[in-house]
Amino acid sequence: MEGLVGKQMTEMLKGVLEGIVLAALSRRPAYGYEITAWLRDLGFTDIAEGTIYALLIRVEQRGLVDVQKVASEKGPPRKVYSLNALGRTNLDEFWGTWSFLVERLEQLHEGGMER
Amino acid sequence: MTPKWIELVTGSLDDKKRYRRYKARIAALPESYRTAVEGVVRYLMYTGPGDGDQLMTMFDDLADLFEQSAADGVPVHAIVGDDPVAFVDTFKQNYGQGGWLGKEQRRLTDAIARAEGQDAGGGAAAGGGAAAGGGAADDDVRRRGGGADTGNETDAGDGSGVSR
Repeated sequence: MEGLVGKQMTEMLKGVLEGIVLAALSRRPAYGYEITAWLRDLGFTDIAEGTIYALLIRVEQRGLVDVQKVASEKGPPRKVYSLNALGRTNLDEFWGTWSFLVERLEQLHEGGMER
Repeated sequence: MTPKWIELVTGSLDDKKRYRRYKARIAALPESYRTAVEGVVRYLMYTGPGDGDQLMTMFDDLADLFEQSAADGVPVHAIVGDDPVAFVDTFKQNYGQGGWLGKEQRRLTDAIARAEGQDAGGGAAAGGGAAAGGGAADDDVRRRGGGADTGNETDAGDGSGVSR
């Protein structure tokens, strides 16, 4: 994505990227590279590998995921992340907040400021 | 076994070993990855965590990221994205913040709390000119005290290279 649209997309994504990572992990356990690749397939082509990695460290510190080190044929062992119970609760809250936002923004969009 | 007291003189030997291990990992990376890590680390030295332990954990995590990416064939640009500063700012949030920044953030929060206290006090004493005068005198004392502090903080800020 280029220019202004890309910039706006980046800014908007900042607030929801952690939720997106949790949502990705709710499908199945994964390591960082798999998550980035999956997001690229969904059309989020601008997301940096390092940013996803930083968010994975954050959700690990907050106790939302369990981490397992798995040997890899190339390079150092990989950290495989899986969503735990606390992570699922957190993800539910994220979707709750998301629905609230979408609903309110839709109202705005349809000129529904008058009550 | 090295006697424990020697660490008082030299700093923690464990930290030194850990740092040497990290340096060796970076040295083993392909050239472009090494260049990128060095750039990231330089920026982090000025803007990153103030705590030594957090700093070492951050370096280890950084080495993990670049080693793994090199092994997966992820190019440097795909690791740090279009905006390397945004990436590093997100990354460093995981490791606490610079000592000077935390101090300044507390100072800001305190100042606003004081301001709100003054508002509440002013509202209650709305009729009393004497009370309002007393409040102003208090303020002066505080401001003078705060002024000296601020001078110190500015020096500390310059020392850590904030303005560069």
